[in-house]
Amino acid sequence: MNADNGTGLPAEAFAVALASMPSMGPARLRTLLAEQPPAGAWERANRGGTASLRDVARTWQRHTSLGIQVLLAGQPSYPERLADDPQAPVLLFCLGDPAVLGAAPTVALVGTRAPTRYGIGVAAQFGADLSGAGVSVVSGLALGIDGAAHEGACGAGAPPVGVVAGGLDHPYPQRHERLWERVASSGAIVSESPAGVPTEKWRFPVRNRLLAALSDVVIVVESRHHGGSRHTVDAAISRGIPVGAVPGSIRSATSEGTNALLADGAFPVCSTGDILVALALAGASVAIPPRAAGRRPPSPEPVQGVDRLVYDTLTADPSPLDELVRVTGIDLAELCGSLERLAQAGLARDAGGWWERV
Amino acid sequence: MLAAIASATLTGAVGSPVSVEVHVSNGLPGFTIVGLPDAAVRESRDRVRAAILSSGLPWPMRRITANLAPSGVRKGGAGLDLPIAIGLLVAAGELSPSCTEGFAFCGELGLNGSLRHVPGVIALADATAAPLGLIVPLCDMREAALVRGGDARGAATLADLVRVLRGEARWPSTPPPTRDNSAPDPPDLSEVRGQALGRRAVEVAAAGRHHLLMIGPPGSGKTMLAERLVGLLPPLTPPEALTVTRIHSAAGRALPEGVLLERPPFRAPHHQASIVSLVGGGSWSLRPGEVSLATNGILFLDELGEFPVAALEALRQPLEEGVIRVSRAGGTATFPAAFLLVAAMNPCPCGEGVYEGACTCSAVTRARYRRRISAPLLDRFDLVVPLSRPDPDELLAGAAGESSATVARRVARARTAGLERARELELTPDASSLLASKLRAGGLSARGLHKVTSVARTVAALAGADVVSFAHTSEALSLRAGRAVVVA
Repeated sequence: MNADNGTGLPAEAFAVALASMPSMGPARLRTLLAEQPPAGAWERANRGGTASLRDVARTWQRHTSLGIQVLLAGQPSYPERLADDPQAPVLLFCLGDPAVLGAAPTVALVGTRAPTRYGIGVAAQFGADLSGAGVSVVSGLALGIDGAAHEGACGAGAPPVGVVAGGLDHPYPQRHERLWERVASSGAIVSESPAGVPTEKWRFPVRNRLLAALSDVVIVVESRHHGGSRHTVDAAISRGIPVGAVPGSIRSATSEGTNALLADGAFPVCSTGDILVALALAGASVAIPPRAAGRRPPSPEPVQGVDRLVYDTLTADPSPLDELVRVTGIDLAELCGSLERLAQAGLARDAGGWWERV
Repeated sequence: MLAAIASATLTGAVGSPVSVEVHVSNGLPGFTIVGLPDAAVRESRDRVRAAILSSGLPWPMRRITANLAPSGVRKGGAGLDLPIAIGLLVAAGELSPSCTEGFAFCGELGLNGSLRHVPGVIALADATAAPLGLIVPLCDMREAALVRGGDARGAATLADLVRVLRGEARWPSTPPPTRDNSAPDPPDLSEVRGQALGRRAVEVAAAGRHHLLMIGPPGSGKTMLAERLVGLLPPLTPPEALTVTRIHSAAGRALPEGVLLERPPFRAPHHQASIVSLVGGGSWSLRPGEVSLATNGILFLDELGEFPVAALEALRQPLEEGVIRVSRAGGTATFPAAFLLVAAMNPCPCGEGVYEGACTCSAVTRARYRRRISAPLLDRFDLVVPLSRPDPDELLAGAAGESSATVARRVARARTAGLERARELELTPDASSLLASKLRAGGLSARGLHKVTSVARTVAALAGADVVSFAHTSEALSLRAGRAVVVA
């Protein structure tokens, strides 16, 4: 059995080659590497196979040329945070700076891929506020809540961390290609899959486990009844990581999951401050700002007459024009005019033809 | 013996003259038709023979050749039965050539000698230049009279016609209508409860001929509103009615017995309709499609997102030019296609997209659904209205809204008095500044600005106002707000 250094390739190269073998999952990889060092494990797994040392070198070359760093458990570059995790990945791929994985306190902001505007707004706001408070935002770079959280967090302060399911050579989902690049350049993206591995379905729950393991606190912004966020939450609970949920309307299907979490004992998140308190309780050193006075709605005082009636009818949730006509009894043209005046005064907002109070 | 009879055949919605020459000579008994006949014309041999024998007239046991001139143009349809039979009778000496001179003949023959309806009589009548008149089946006489006036002659059977031509009988008079000619009234707008925005949208669409796209969940009344829009349009003017009747006649659709179609047509093809059935075509006989049948009326496309993308893109040229050119191997035809496009779609495949949180579609599914409506097609819609389900209380116990008749009066007034003037209506300063702020904020494109202004002018014209006010402009903006649901 040759030692690693006998081939001129680092131990990581064999680990990557082993991970790139067909039907190799994180669990099997962990078992194989627990028994032997990477070179030996690869040779054993490849017994009777066709792969040569040249293939190992080529796979390794591919990863280094893409700028993908390989973090092997037990090596100094491996994130400390994962060292004593029961299901820690033996091999981690990383785009960007792997040091950010251990530096700042981290909060996972996760949720549904089909959120409401409410969810998007909350996720983006928490992302920006947390990042500004020096907390790294961890998320899955998926569509919806994940993307909104990272959109908020990018460039706002602390480095963002993306945890993805597939190989790091192709951004997934494609629509987040630019967000992907921004996260990689200002923070880090990690994955357990070697380059070239497609984003398969079973990898998402596995990814969610890693996402939870990398976070000090997990926050679910919006989720459906049986949403994928549940995997992240379960992984967090089994690790003793505090889980918070943003309360939502009892009528909204996208808040069924989060409201159920609250009923199950997750702590309610109504502001960034709530998250920072949870972080501090979890042992992270963060500065908790004094309770903000809260943004008061602009005073509706100057609004008179019809506009006042319309303003009083509007709610924070958007209503269709038909309903406003029915409730106020005002003629459509006049109502539209009134709404536009309120919008100009910053008191109302057009949400796709429906109107809401600001 | 040789006879030449004037007739016409249909290409698309336009007739072209045909001279039917029949030659009877000695030789082996037989009957051939030459001059590019299609299957229906070739089969007329058997119909003509049976009809002549059934009418008690002798069949010449000689060699018969019928030529359809010009020989290079393909002829279709059974309307050439009658001229072939008459030509044969002249050539066989049963009728004197002088008694058919100056007449043109169109009609299908039954085996019992009766004359049957032919499609496109208006177009055929246009094409025949016979100085004495056009002879058609009695049931088509009213239709022919639309073009030929008193020149239109009709006969019920071949035997009757021969007697009249021989001078043994008089021309029969126009038969009284056997059916009720009045089309059923379209459903009334007062049946729509609530839906202030939707009701307003159909009114503005009718008044300003603005193409309308309604976006709403199932049960929000999209189809109901579209069906009621046709009742808000003013009746067709005589030239419009003739255009519509000509197209419907050419398509072989049953007309209210020779009377003009005076109501704007309402066509609602299903989303599985083929492109050819939408825009017109066919291999040899070019037939008008749904876009032409809807001319001067409404083309309603329900479930717009389910139509094949190619079919929707094919609508862009007629929407722009008001006509459709159909080119096939058999020739090229231009059909009128000046319709008001009314479309309805769900906001997403599950239909609940306007209700945040209730939608079960993934972001990818929704994006794919929205991509089916291309930006250029979406730009054709001046009105893009988001609809929501009506309030249950209002649905059950709400007061009935304005009736179609009331709204139609407003539309008629806006159209007759206002629309010419409306184009010059000025915007008030606060209305202009509202649009300017929207432009600056990026919520409105230059094309969008033009559309909003034009809709705002229609709104002002409906209100009988002299200027386009802030409220009119705001309403016009609201009538386009549905774009935000589809453009994402």
